[in-house]
Formats: sequence, C-alpha cells, structure tokens
Amino acid sequence: MPGAVLEVRDVSVRFGGVVAVRNTSLELREKEVVGLIGPNGAGKSSLLGALGGQLPVAGGQVWLGGHDITTAPPHRRARLGLARTFQLASTFDGLTVYENLLVSAAAARGSRLRDSLAGGRERRARLAAAADMTWSRLHEFGMAGAANRYGSELSGGQRRLVEIMRCLMQSPRVVLLDEPMVGVAPRLVQRIQEECARIRDSGVSIIIVEHALEVVQAVCDRVVVMASGAVVAQATYAEAMSSGAVREAYFA
Amino acid sequence: MSFYISTLLVYFFVDVLLAWALNLQFGWGGIPNFALIMFQAVGAYAAAVVSLGPDTGAGAFQRYVFGSDLPFPVPLLVATAAGGILALVVGMFALRRIRRDYQAAILLIVSLIAIQVVSNLVGLLNGSNGLTGVPKPLSGVLAGLTYDGYQWVYAAWAGLIALGVYLLVARLGGSAWGRALRAVRDNEDAAATIGLNPMGLRMQAFVIGGMIAGLSGGLLVDFLSAWSPAAWGYAETFAVFTAIILGGVGNNWGVVLGTLLVQVIFLQVPTFAPQVGYTGLIDALEWVLIGGLWLLCLAIRPRGLIPERRRTVAPPPGVAATLTPGPAAAAPSQGVSQ
Repeated sequence: MPGAVLEVRDVSVRFGGVVAVRNTSLELREKEVVGLIGPNGAGKSSLLGALGGQLPVAGGQVWLGGHDITTAPPHRRARLGLARTFQLASTFDGLTVYENLLVSAAAARGSRLRDSLAGGRERRARLAAAADMTWSRLHEFGMAGAANRYGSELSGGQRRLVEIMRCLMQSPRVVLLDEPMVGVAPRLVQRIQEECARIRDSGVSIIIVEHALEVVQAVCDRVVVMASGAVVAQATYAEAMSSGAVREAYFA
Repeated sequence: MSFYISTLLVYFFVDVLLAWALNLQFGWGGIPNFALIMFQAVGAYAAAVVSLGPDTGAGAFQRYVFGSDLPFPVPLLVATAAGGILALVVGMFALRRIRRDYQAAILLIVSLIAIQVVSNLVGLLNGSNGLTGVPKPLSGVLAGLTYDGYQWVYAAWAGLIALGVYLLVARLGGSAWGRALRAVRDNEDAAATIGLNPMGLRMQAFVIGGMIAGLSGGLLVDFLSAWSPAAWGYAETFAVFTAIILGGVGNNWGVVLGTLLVQVIFLQVPTFAPQVGYTGLIDALEWVLIGGLWLLCLAIRPRGLIPERRRTVAPPPGVAATLTPGPAAAAPSQGVSQ
C-alpha cells in the first residue's frame, strides 16, 4: 500500500509458552499518529518491543520503508529511521542534557573510534553542525536553561522531553512513544501533546501507546485497539468509541 | 634512597597505566573488569617469552612456549598486542547482553581459572615458579650506566609511555566516541535506539583497555626481570578498583591521585619498610586496609576525591539570557549494577 512507512505483517511475540502478541498486522502511513490502546496485558508494549528490536519476533515480518527489519538489531533499525522512547524515561543519567542530545546527533557517523582518533576539519565541521542542531532543538523545547544538568538531575517530565528531543536528533521517519505521559506534570502533558502534533507536521509518523484516552483523542489520527495479544479494532477515535470495541477490549 | 624512589616511580607509572585502562573500561564503558590483572599478566608473560630466547627443552631450568629473543622495543609491542587479543577473546563471551553483575562474576572466574591453568600447566609458562632472567632492555647499550643510573633511565622511559597513554585516553574520553561509550554505560537500550552499537562500543573499550594493561605488564616485567602467578592474584585487581574509586571514577587525574594513594602509599611503601610483627603481618593488614578503604569510599564519597568532570557548555551568543544555572550537586549513579 502506498504511503506506508512501517508495515507489520502477522507478527507474533512469545515469552516462553506465553503468546504476548498473536499474528498482528498493522501499518503506519506517512505523517500519521496512531494510538495503540488496550487494557494492561493486551500486548501493546510487547508489540512496540518487536518493532524496536528489543524483543525477538517469533513469527511474521516488520518492514520499515522498504527494508525488512524483522531480525535487525535495534541500532540498525535506528539508523534506518526508527526511534523510540521507553515506558521508564531513559535519559543517559551521567551525561548532561546537552550531551544527551549531542550523542544522538553524532551517533550515526561521528562517534566512530577511527574518526575520534583521527581528527581533521571534516570531523570538526560535523561536530559543529551537531552542536548547532542541539542548541536549536533545546530552544525549540524550552530546555536551553537545563543544558548543563545531568540526566539524573531532571524531573520526570523533563526526562520525557529529553528523550523525545533525543529521538528527533536522529531525524527519524517513525517514532514509537511508550506511555510518554506517565509521571509527567499536567502542564508538560499539554506541551508533549503539542510537540507530537508539531513532529507529525514535520513529516514524522508516530505510534503512541497511552492509557490516558483524552491524550489519544487529542493527538491521534487513528487508534488500534488491542486485547489479549490481538488487534480487535482499527478506526478513528470517534468510530472506535462508538462501536463499543474499546469498551469490549477493556471490560470483556 | 635514590634506588627506592626510582623503583617506586616505575611501579607508580605501571599502576597508573592499569588505572587508566580500568577507567576506560569501567569508568566510561561500565564494564566491571574483575579480570583486569589477567591482562597485565598476559602482557608480562608475552614480553618475557619473546625476550628470554628459545626454551632449551625438557632439561631446561624453566620451560615456556613461544620462546624467542626479539630486540627492544618489540617485546613491548607483543605485550600490547597480547593484551588486546586476550580482551577480544574474553570479550566475546563476557560482554554479551547480560546484567553487569553477571559480567563481573564471569570476568572474576575467568581470571581465577587463568591463574590455576598457568600455575599447574608447567610447560606453558613455567608454572607457579614463574619466569626469571628476563633481560633488561638496552642493557648492552646502557652498559656504561651505574645500576642506579639505569633505574632512573627506566623510570623516565616508563614516564614517557605513561604520557603517551595519557594523551590517548584523554583524547578518547573527550571525543564523540567517549560520549557514545558513556551513553552505553548509562542505558544500553536507549543507546541502541539512537543508532549506537552497544556491543561494538563496549568491545572497543575492552580491547583498548586490554592493550594498555598488556603494555603495563610488559613494562613491569622488563623492569623486574621476573614474573610468576604470585604477581597477579585477583586481589591486585581490587587494589586498582579501590584506587580509581577513591580517586574518582571517570576522571583521568582522579585515578592518578587514587593510584598514588592506594598503590604507592598503601601497597608499595610498606614493602620497603622494615618488618613489624611476624612475617606476613604487614601484607595481610594492607589487604584489610584496602578492602576497608573501598567500603569507606562507597559510603562517604562514592564519586571519589576528584569526581568525573561535568562537561559543561556555553550557549552560542544570543541565547545567554535564557539560561538559568542548574544545581551543582547531585551525581550520576555509577554503581556496578545499574
């Protein structure tokens, strides 16, 4: 199907004998925000793990913009344009906020051992470009004042922002957000919501796992409802709600 | 007195090399290398056998493999390579994606196995008696020097090597590669999602650290002329850990200070001092003190005397007004098991 940046075909994820995700298919189109919802244990985070490469896929295929990434390790998926955040905000705690972003900007090429030893004008130019990008991202998110704080010195919401900024330093095509609003102050929830819309408008596709349905309603173009490891509905938020699929998934 | 100081100086430089190797692996890479001393040992053995000349067979007074007499400084290069190769082999199974405390356990066990194998497989490296008679480098060229003079030349040579290694680790630590390595240390999964290869970066740090440790072994065996399993008990590894934790993990100068305090003052000075009490009492007390010191550091000053430097940046012109200072206190967590 044209326009699909991420395609999931018949994917299953198993933990020993337990099937966490069963023959699930979905696709993510360009500039689309999809909400992945469902009760605890529905398999949302497992599916995200299979997409990000943190969990092995037991069956099926994952395609990212024409590349079969089913068995690719996480860092290779990242280089192909897939970024993600984690349920527990995962900043680099011993790096400053500035370094958290810079390391991501330079990750693909700049941090090779050979380049770091060799020096040279090209390397310096690349680092300068990464530094510029870092500062402009920090300003965009209103975090320039915290540039020199360690990851460990941030609030839960600030960690989320750093995580999201760090994703964007990669210029990704697809971003997976795993419960980005957990532990975030209401004021920042609003901010992150706005950022999601802005990121989408800049041409990035997003899958967001979120329990807060008002957030899903506000930011998602479409929702995918999961229950017991399978997709039970794919529709717009309004359709899904009126069809009762969501109610059924949560209370069945 | 002059002999005493030049000897201490050589030990100090050798120990500083080990401390920088561990700081690279553990401080920045998060690898709990409890086998550190094994990499120094392999360098020492490698440098010894390639400068001792061929093993003369079953009747010889010491037996070993790979005997040859390569000229200085080739044995040091062999020592460096041996440390790197051993790190590559050990890293293949010890650095897999497992919890850090398991990595530590695997490395400690490997180090214990290695010392048993070397002690008991006599044909390999002359067993527990070890190797002696390793020729002093350039002793022909420098024959005009007094024994004392030679010691000082050697101390200067060790200092020169330490300077070179410092330039290397300082460059690596401040580079984009060093930053990537520290990111892997802090959160492996998150580092992978920004395109960094955690296993690859860890392996590079482990091999470079192994090479530095190997080099330190070569430098030490050339000076001592002898090497045996008694020189590389696992406790030596913990002395280096204590040194870098006391001095400041992640800071090259901090670990130099820690080495000075732990390795030189605590461990070396008493060996030159007169015996007190029964034989072995001082040695035993030293290790008790080292263990106590480690625990004390973790309880009182876990980031060390000179902590890892916060790498602050100034914003580009025009944005200074928006800045508010961040808190200066608080520390990144740096425990063995994160």
